[in-house]
Parts: sequence; C-alpha cells; structure tokens
Amino acid sequence: MADYDVIVVGAGCAGPAAAKKAAELGMKTLLLEKAAVPGQKNVSGTCLNTAALVDPDLHYLMDGPVEREIREMRTYHIASDRTTAIHEIPAQGILLLSVRRDEFDAWHAEQARMAGATVQLATAVVDILESGGRLRGVITDKGEEHRAGVVIDAGGVNSIVGRRAGLIDRRSGTNMILYVTVNVHLGEEIVDHRFGDCIEYYLSEGIQHKTWPWIFPKREVVTLGTGGYLDDRLISRDFPSVNTYMQNFLDLPVVQKKLEGGRIVAWGLHLEFDEAPDQRVKDGLILTGEAGGFVMPFLGEGMPEAFFTGIYAAQAAAEAIGSGDTTRERLEEKYNELIESNLFMQAFRYLAAANKESILSMEDGEIVSMMQNVVMGGGFITNVLHNRWISGAREENLQPVLEALEFMDFIQPYREIGGDFEQIYRERKKR
Amino acid sequence: MKLEMKVDYNPGETGEFLRVDEDKCTGCGRCAAFCARDVWIKQGSVYRPLNSKRCVECGACWNVCDYDAVILGEPRGGTGVRFAYG
Repeated sequence: MADYDVIVVGAGCAGPAAAKKAAELGMKTLLLEKAAVPGQKNVSGTCLNTAALVDPDLHYLMDGPVEREIREMRTYHIASDRTTAIHEIPAQGILLLSVRRDEFDAWHAEQARMAGATVQLATAVVDILESGGRLRGVITDKGEEHRAGVVIDAGGVNSIVGRRAGLIDRRSGTNMILYVTVNVHLGEEIVDHRFGDCIEYYLSEGIQHKTWPWIFPKREVVTLGTGGYLDDRLISRDFPSVNTYMQNFLDLPVVQKKLEGGRIVAWGLHLEFDEAPDQRVKDGLILTGEAGGFVMPFLGEGMPEAFFTGIYAAQAAAEAIGSGDTTRERLEEKYNELIESNLFMQAFRYLAAANKESILSMEDGEIVSMMQNVVMGGGFITNVLHNRWISGAREENLQPVLEALEFMDFIQPYREIGGDFEQIYRERKKR
Repeated sequence: MKLEMKVDYNPGETGEFLRVDEDKCTGCGRCAAFCARDVWIKQGSVYRPLNSKRCVECGACWNVCDYDAVILGEPRGGTGVRFAYG
C-alpha cells in the first residue's frame, strides 16, 4: 500500500512545479528537500527567461520574489589591443527576471504546499525502494520509508534517486560543465549605477574553457560565473583549478572597474550536464530538470526546462496513476508527448545542439571570435541559420539549407514573444 | 579583486557523505585534480577525502573517477553547504 500517489524529491525548480501540479491534479503528494530552506543547495540558475514564462503553465511564477527585471544585455569582447562592448537594447521589454534562489525556491515550495502537497524540508533522500525493477518509494536520512505510485526525481545533476535507479551514471568530457560562481556585494545603489537592468557577458581567452562568463545583477549583489567542460584540458599547468579562470575573469581591467569597492560574499561550484541521458523514465520513476539532463549550459538555460519537465512529469504521473498503469511505457508516452509539444524547449534544444556543434570543433581562441560573430551577427539563432546554410553550400547538399529554412519558420513565434510577457506580468503584479 | 572561496555551512553534523572505496582507488589523483577545495589528500597509495568539511557538494570527484572509487552520498538533511543566490 502506497503512502502517497506521488513523491517528488528535491525542491529546486522542477520539484515544486511537479508537486504543485500533482496536488492540483488531486494526487496525494509529498515533496522532500534536503536543505532547510529550498534553494540553499542551488549554485546556478539565476535568471528566468521571459520567453518561457509566457507559457500559461508558467504564468504563476511571475508572482514570485524578483531581484531585478533585466531589459538589456552587454557583451564585452576583450582583445589585447582593445575592448569592445556591444550593448543590446531589445524593443520587447523584459528579457529575464533575476532571482535569488533561496527566496524564489522557498516561495515556489510554498506554492506547492498551498496547492495541497506535504512539504518536508531538511530531509535528504539517501536511497530508493525498488522491487521487480520498479520504483516503490524512497528512504530518507531519518530512516523513514515513503512509498508512492510514482516518484518524480528533481534532485539535480548528481541526483541520488536517478543514480540508485541506474539512470544517472558518471559523466565528464564535453557533456559536463563545471562552473565556479562568485557573489560580489556592491550595494543596491552601485549595482543600479554600474549594471542597472543589464546582464553582461565577457568574451576573452584565459577566463573560460569553452563557455561564456557572465555577470548577472541582483538587488545588492552581482553574481559572476565561469568554468568549462569537465575534460582533461580544463585543468592544466596554467590552469591548476577552475578558480584560475575566475581569478583571470576578476582581473580583467573592465571587470575590476565594475567591481571596485565590492567584496566577495559567497563562492560556489556547480556541475551541469547538457546531454540527455539514455533513459529518463522507468517503471514508477520520472527524471526531471537537471536530473533528467534538462539544462543547456551553453545557452545559460535550465530553469524553464526544469519547470516544464516538473509539470509534465506530474501530468504524466497523474494520468498513469488514474489508469492504474505506471509502467515506463505509459509514463514515457505522455511525458515525451508534452515535452515534444513545447515550443520553447524544442527551439532551445535545437539552438544549443547546433551551436555546441560549432564550438566543439574550435580552439578557445577561435571560440572568442566566433562568439563575437554571434553577438555582432544577431545571436545564436542567426548563427544556426548561417552555419547550416554555409555547410549546405560547401557540401553541395540542400538538406542543411532546407533545415535552416524550416528552423527559421519554427522559431518565429519565439522571436515575437517579448511584448506579451510585459503585459501579462504587469497585469499579474497589479492583482 | 582577489578571489576568496567564501563558503557558508549550516551547523550540524553532515555524517560521512563522501568516502573512498580503497579497494578500487588506484591513486590516479583525478579526484584531487578536479577538486577546487583540496578535499582529497593522498595517503600511501590511495586518496582519501580528509578535508570533507571543506566540500561544497559539487560532485566533480565522483564524476571524474574512472574507477568508481568515489562514494558520494548526501549530507544529513539541513546540514552541509549553504548558498543564497544561485
């Protein structure tokens, strides 16, 4: 006899979304989180992309605590002779909502509780209950056993549930990124003055290993991140630690000026896995968010994918439980159908894969130039179209060209989305 | 700005959440190479997580160990590293 219909493990982005949805669908739901305050174990995932929030499934997230509304983007291209800044001010309005995770995730878990889920904090899941090849439940650090019809794993990149269930294996090389992050306190007035509502990216050698260092403004603090693929070239004589990339980033003259008078208040490390695991579902178990490989470090996207997959897992679980069939086939059919019908996820997956393809073939120095072309040439979407078109021409193959055309049509709704968000957001804020 | 590894920890005993399977450890040192916190120390022919109190739970050591010698569990609920901003 199961104690719950659905157990959700982890209250980051995917977990509360899953628990809230499951409770709303009438499921008896338990949400377990290892931290005393949800969000306190999160080292990455810092801005919500408004292109995803316009999806009606995610509108409620606009009510959460926000640090800053991001409207602009600046990219610094740093060469030995000069630094060029490209400042983009899109007409559509808010691009991102900058959040702090301990506040946002705690708010989100509270939404799950208000929807009817039982939320248990400061509880680490240490093992799974499994019999006959299917998940039956979980065991906590307090020795409690909780049984459920379906377990939704939202335990992050190294999730213990996914590992114990045999779906998450060790990963390194070019599908795993190790990020180092730093929080610098400047005070609200200085952050307003130096960053305002603008996020910044930095392109330079010596500050990254195939990734794109950033500074994101919060209310009183800015967060910095850099790192690279967890391969044998990440650590070397010149770069004995990922901290070397961060120190070089902090030492850039333009960054020194931006952070003058500030102090480091926190430092962290985080892994992100950017390729789909072979299998995300088994009997009685669905992997969501980072546990399911739903993150695209290359594009700095992960939170929307986690929200969506959490919600979709809950829908798949509720339908399967309703039908009395919680086998992998049943769960997977609905879960995949919902994921495949999500425009944001499909568009961003394609963009990430196509851009990563070009990055992996280059040296770090060339990447800086390529990224400059990306920024100058209208972004990742244009880069995909350009690359597909050129490779078609080179190989005298019409297929990539047709693929580019098809993608251009597919991506149009995403490009036009901005204005809608602002309107929905303002209306919700008024209420 | 000089990089400082400023890390907050919750009070409370984490339990032994990071261990090494000494029969599997070959002493290759990849765990230590990828660890930015100097958690892994070589003793004789094996590496041991002697500084696990400094661990920030990123899991790089577990992921890069080709011999499955790193045993990565979970600190007790409510303990271990604590972040704020993400």
